[in-house]
Amino acid sequence: MIAAAAAVAASIAAPLLVLRRRTLWAYYGADAATWLFAYILWRRLPVIDPRLGCIALGAVKLATLSLFVANGREVRWSATRAAALAGIVYALAIPLLGVYPPGGDEPWFLMKAESLLTDRDLDLRDEYRAWGWQRYEDDPVGPNGEQYSRHERFLSLLILPGFALFGVKGALATIALFGVLLVRSTIRWMEDEGIPDAHARAVFPFFAFGPPLLWYATRVWPEVPAAFFFVEALRGVRAERPRRWIPALVALVLLKLRFGLVAVGLLFRRPQLLAAGAALLLVYFAATANRWQELIPARPAAYLTGLLGLLVDQMGGLAFQAPFYLFGLFALFRWKSAPRGFRAGIIAASLYVLMLLPRPQAFNSWAPPLHYIAFLMPVLALGAAAMWDRLSRGAIAVAALWTVGVAVHGLTWPYRLFHIATGEYAIGEWLSATYRSDFSRLLPSFSRPNTAGWIGAVVVLFLITVGLRRWKHDLTIPLFALALAAGFAHGKKPGARIEFEDTHVVHDGGRLYPEEFELNRFVYRGGWILEAGHSASFLAQRGTYALHFITGLGAVVELEGRAYQVEPHLEYQTVRVVVPHDGRVTLRCLSGAINADFMERE
Amino acid sequence: MKQFRWILSAAISAYACHLAVQHATPIDRALPLLGAAVTLCAAVSYPAVMLGVVLLIVGEIAIAHEVVRLMCFGAVCAGAVASCVWRVARAFAADQPGSGNTQRGTRNAAVVAAAVALVLLRWIPLAEVLVVRELVLLGIAALIVVVLGRTPFAVAVAVVTCFLTPAIPLRTLAVPLLVLGVCITARIFGMGEWKWTWASGVTLAFLLLFFAWSGVVARSLPFVLRKAGLEPPRTAVGAALTASQSETFEVPEQARSLIVSGANVARFGRGVPLGRIEPGAIAIRLGDAADWGAMRREQVYGSRNPWPRDMAGRVRGYGYNAWLDGAGRVALPAGARTITVTADASLPADASLQVEGFE
Repeated sequence: MIAAAAAVAASIAAPLLVLRRRTLWAYYGADAATWLFAYILWRRLPVIDPRLGCIALGAVKLATLSLFVANGREVRWSATRAAALAGIVYALAIPLLGVYPPGGDEPWFLMKAESLLTDRDLDLRDEYRAWGWQRYEDDPVGPNGEQYSRHERFLSLLILPGFALFGVKGALATIALFGVLLVRSTIRWMEDEGIPDAHARAVFPFFAFGPPLLWYATRVWPEVPAAFFFVEALRGVRAERPRRWIPALVALVLLKLRFGLVAVGLLFRRPQLLAAGAALLLVYFAATANRWQELIPARPAAYLTGLLGLLVDQMGGLAFQAPFYLFGLFALFRWKSAPRGFRAGIIAASLYVLMLLPRPQAFNSWAPPLHYIAFLMPVLALGAAAMWDRLSRGAIAVAALWTVGVAVHGLTWPYRLFHIATGEYAIGEWLSATYRSDFSRLLPSFSRPNTAGWIGAVVVLFLITVGLRRWKHDLTIPLFALALAAGFAHGKKPGARIEFEDTHVVHDGGRLYPEEFELNRFVYRGGWILEAGHSASFLAQRGTYALHFITGLGAVVELEGRAYQVEPHLEYQTVRVVVPHDGRVTLRCLSGAINADFMERE
Repeated sequence: MKQFRWILSAAISAYACHLAVQHATPIDRALPLLGAAVTLCAAVSYPAVMLGVVLLIVGEIAIAHEVVRLMCFGAVCAGAVASCVWRVARAFAADQPGSGNTQRGTRNAAVVAAAVALVLLRWIPLAEVLVVRELVLLGIAALIVVVLGRTPFAVAVAVVTCFLTPAIPLRTLAVPLLVLGVCITARIFGMGEWKWTWASGVTLAFLLLFFAWSGVVARSLPFVLRKAGLEPPRTAVGAALTASQSETFEVPEQARSLIVSGANVARFGRGVPLGRIEPGAIAIRLGDAADWGAMRREQVYGSRNPWPRDMAGRVRGYGYNAWLDGAGRVALPAGARTITVTADASLPADASLQVEGFE
């Protein structure tokens, strides 16, 4: 009730911060109409989940306010006002996301803060017992059996005052405060770079209220403080103010060692500083749990997969999780006309991104999406703001709608921000479960590479090179609608490849392989283990398929009346199976056991 | 070239909507029409309104619950028409001498908004549209809009008039023509160009929010305004009692009310007795229930029935053909295991009291 009252009060007060006179009254008119229709819908639709309804209403109000801020004629605009507005939104978002307990790395940052507060050390043995978490096997151990965490300790220090005063809520408030500072700093940076106010106002809601910043400004991760320090460092370097950039850069590196690569990128024109920084970085590197091997280039295919995954993967790619930032990449292809700060930011981050790409968790770690590149978003936002006049209006509208949808989804079901890299994601899983057909195959994945991933990569590359530019006759929205509808119509038809662990497969017995919370699950070939009497049914096209599986016991399986005997083997095997008709078919295990990986039409 | 772009957009939108159609209601089947209508609104207001087409498709795909889905479509259409009204208001401001507004828009959006609203409100189900009559009606609506100065208020007057006009052919045209005459007279005698943007926009948006059951809005407005609860389980009985006929029913566990309606009693007014419930001698009168089909499009204007105090009717049909049956709830005598319902002796020979079920 208090939260609802606060939300209503905020919706009335927030416009006063940024609008005035006729624009303010016009907004209040629109706001009153929104309340009226929300009331009518609430009365007429008792079946709607109240949480979803309230969050959707809040999102509509925020989108309306953002439209007025972007297009209104009488707007009070400054970096501080923008930051204050962001602060209000983060304050409202924290309790919404707080229904999902700390996940990923968050508990370790909090446990370290608690350990510093209560024991004055970083030995987490007490905290592991109290919080119920377990240490990673390869985490550092002290001479007397102390259990340390591999996670950098600077974030724990930053949240320590807030944590000491108000516990986890204080820690969250500290991060939100960094979010507010980041918004202010980014808007000021845009002013420094000569971005017109109108463009900054248009970009601001995408950046401040959209993913991934919304997720990381309201949970305990180092990404938002890192983004703040990164922007401050960039601004300091640009203004040649060492007293600004040196502490910012030090803080950035202390937050996460890998950000040292960003520091290297930022200082590459200052050889002495670069050498000193690199030396410090190496010392620091040697003293922590990171491995030297991480700096050795990996095989080229891993870089490609990482890059395309970061671009288009449904679970952790920009195109799906934060499409607005594709406009920032659009600026990348207009390098000479991009602002100086954008170029400096991209150059600074390029070494870090390069080293990130081959890592398997580059785009699919156990964290809210875009974990490893969230700190880069202010730079991409600056690029988007610089290109604003040159961007397709239809693409902006689609990106806005998508952003609102992703934000509402994440705020309503925060646990869905964390997803195991199975090659599926919430939309595909939900559609597959609803229509019992394989929709996930139509959504790009690089954690389990599929054809849609490569098609998506081509589409996104087309978009960021030419497709997002402003066209005289803009057909972006109808073409997007057509793609959506055609994709849906196609998704209801059986695919040529069936992944047995996927949602669309109706399992009657058996179990998932590897188990759901297997560490580094994405390095395994997934599958569904069928034992005698278990079955799996799915939609398939008529024809001959190659069934990929592994079995240690051997098995007899039956598919639509035909039995196949398979012998035990240590490696994955393939057997040719026949689907005699289009439609739903059932694969049964008659004896033994089989780990069915996938079935592909020949 | 600009027009070609919009024609192409409308064609693509309509085809996309056609591909997305999943459900069998006339509103779902009219999705291509909705897509084209939204595109038309976008063409005369703001191109971003085209996002409504995307929302229509997402709604069709994602929302299985029929009422939620159709109201989602209603919200999209309401937003599209409201954006036209907003655009008209902006254009109106730009047209004022000395306004200093450099964004001079077209007030023809007013005519388009009225036409789109009326097509959505009156033309679904498409199969039952009398095209010539509806086209004449659209023409009259356009004239009302033009006469009143192509303002948001003009759109609201035109749409409300043509929306509420009766179904009987003469009156279908007579009421709008009468309003048109009044408008012309008022303008001759100096009526200004009233804008009333917010009130007009909200009125139009309200009508369009419920366009999937526009017939119910036109003929049974109180039903739309009341709070909808989760429908309680209903045990069907389905008995029709003629004058003086009695029947005894077992009351199901946890039943609280009896659902009744009348048959062929549309011409009677409030308070006319329909029957009674024993024990307790609970009278059932017109006002507790109404004629089952009194709120049909063809019958509503000849009916004298009041709306039931506690409406238990269900919405039948879609679009302008939608109507609410006249069932009402009557509280059951406390603790009764069986009840006897007797139809009133004064009922005419062709009339009956219908016991529909228990809730």
